Amino acid sequence: MADISSQICESQQVINDVLFDSIGDGAVTTDEFGKVTRINPTAEAILGFSPKEAIGVWLPKLYAPYDDSGRQLPITERPMTQAFVTGQITSAHVNYRHKEGHLVRVALTVSPIMSGDKLVGSIQIFRDISAEYEIDKMKSDFISLASHQLRTPLSSVKTYSHMLLDGYMGKLTSPQTKALKTIISAANRMNETVSTLLNISRIESGKVVVERKLLSVNKLFDSVVEEHSLVASEKTIKFKINYPPGSLKLYSDVVVLKEVLGNLISNAIKYTPANGTITLSGKIPKKGNQLVISVADTGVGIPIESHANIFSKFYRAENVVRQETSGIGLGLYLVKGLMDELNGKVWFKSAEDKGTTFYLSLPLRSPAREKTKPIVKSKSSGKVKKATAKTRVGVA
Amino acid sequence: MANILVVEDDKDLNAAYKIILESAKHHVKTAFNGLEALEILKTYTPDLILLDLLMPVMGGLELLEKYRLKNHPDVQVLIFTNMENSPEVSKAYALGATRCIIKSWTAPQNLNKVVNDTLKETSKVAG
Repeated sequence: MADISSQICESQQVINDVLFDSIGDGAVTTDEFGKVTRINPTAEAILGFSPKEAIGVWLPKLYAPYDDSGRQLPITERPMTQAFVTGQITSAHVNYRHKEGHLVRVALTVSPIMSGDKLVGSIQIFRDISAEYEIDKMKSDFISLASHQLRTPLSSVKTYSHMLLDGYMGKLTSPQTKALKTIISAANRMNETVSTLLNISRIESGKVVVERKLLSVNKLFDSVVEEHSLVASEKTIKFKINYPPGSLKLYSDVVVLKEVLGNLISNAIKYTPANGTITLSGKIPKKGNQLVISVADTGVGIPIESHANIFSKFYRAENVVRQETSGIGLGLYLVKGLMDELNGKVWFKSAEDKGTTFYLSLPLRSPAREKTKPIVKSKSSGKVKKATAKTRVGVA
Repeated sequence: MANILVVEDDKDLNAAYKIILESAKHHVKTAFNGLEALEILKTYTPDLILLDLLMPVMGGLELLEKYRLKNHPDVQVLIFTNMENSPEVSKAYALGATRCIIKSWTAPQNLNKVVNDTLKETSKVAG
């Protein structure tokens, strides 16, 4: 009887071995102390370590994750540590150093192996995404270059249109002035699109830098409303501002926040019929150390079936596609990306024909308490957000 | 009224800036790349250089490196580019540029305003 049980166990072990070795992605398992217990052939190919070299070695000693600037991540920021500490599945894009020295970009998922409440080990699954990463980088570089080249002729169009309008080339008739204003308005729209594309390419390539300073929320509100007052007045849309209590100072990035609020207000103007109202408010909820900013309109609203996709790239709700032809569906995608960069949240309430309110929540932290953004986030998308970014978000 | 050197490779924009700045009674000289600008700067010290970054032959950053603003503390540099908040702009600031303006967002009346504001700031500093 014991022999039969033993044979069953052995055959199960063989099946497990075959399954593990057949996984198309790199797979490495560790015990509860982080020592490597198994490594499959794909992992061997990605990392260059044979099972003989790897098994029994403490994983952080064998290979470590690096960020894009070539910095080795401190133990506390590594996905494996986070999985061990939180007991949660942790995903990230990191660079692993191959035994021969070169870095390999991988999409990594670390899962803690639990026996009841007890951590008994971990399994790392990773895939070489070097080629995809390079293509993505080329795409971002291309968008950046193309955006710049699009702007150069736009500058001439706008400059000369304004010169005509301002009378540098003589007095204009009323229809000529009207035609010029149309040209300038179209050029501005194209400029906004180019700015959005540039900002998205920066977010997606991790090149956004957030520069936090103490800023006046009242001044921020005044400034964004002022910037949009001309366009709103053309549609006889009124602005209402409810300032947060006191002269509230927020420790955040004014350029990024202006971009976020500018996008929400532009949308509100675009999708609110004439004589409507846009209300910009700031509140501090009783619970939680946060500022909640809202942008409420009396516009066409978002149909319930579009709610789930509203922050997706290139998505436009069907009712606005019918009514408003301009727009490419990147504004809210950008808003979401920028709010992630600010460690904030964005959500909305809306019903068709009853208006929309977008809410932004931002942490009210003092500069001293502001923590450095973690290098690796455990997100379902597995996307890495880097602290060492390079570029400011543009003013749109 | 100030002496201004416009360095811009786009002929249309170069001509436009000259017209706009002269309308505000500034004296304007023009160059179409960094090398041409360096030649002019050998014998001319402007109050302000309106400088594009991406130009053929010699770009704005190379001009700033060669001209060495530290040796010309009275010369202000206004970067006028479409490379919005890019690493190039950061480098231009590091090389001593005073301000940076995005071309495609700036209407002519604003160009004179920004130039005048920059010059006023300078006189405040100097005073």
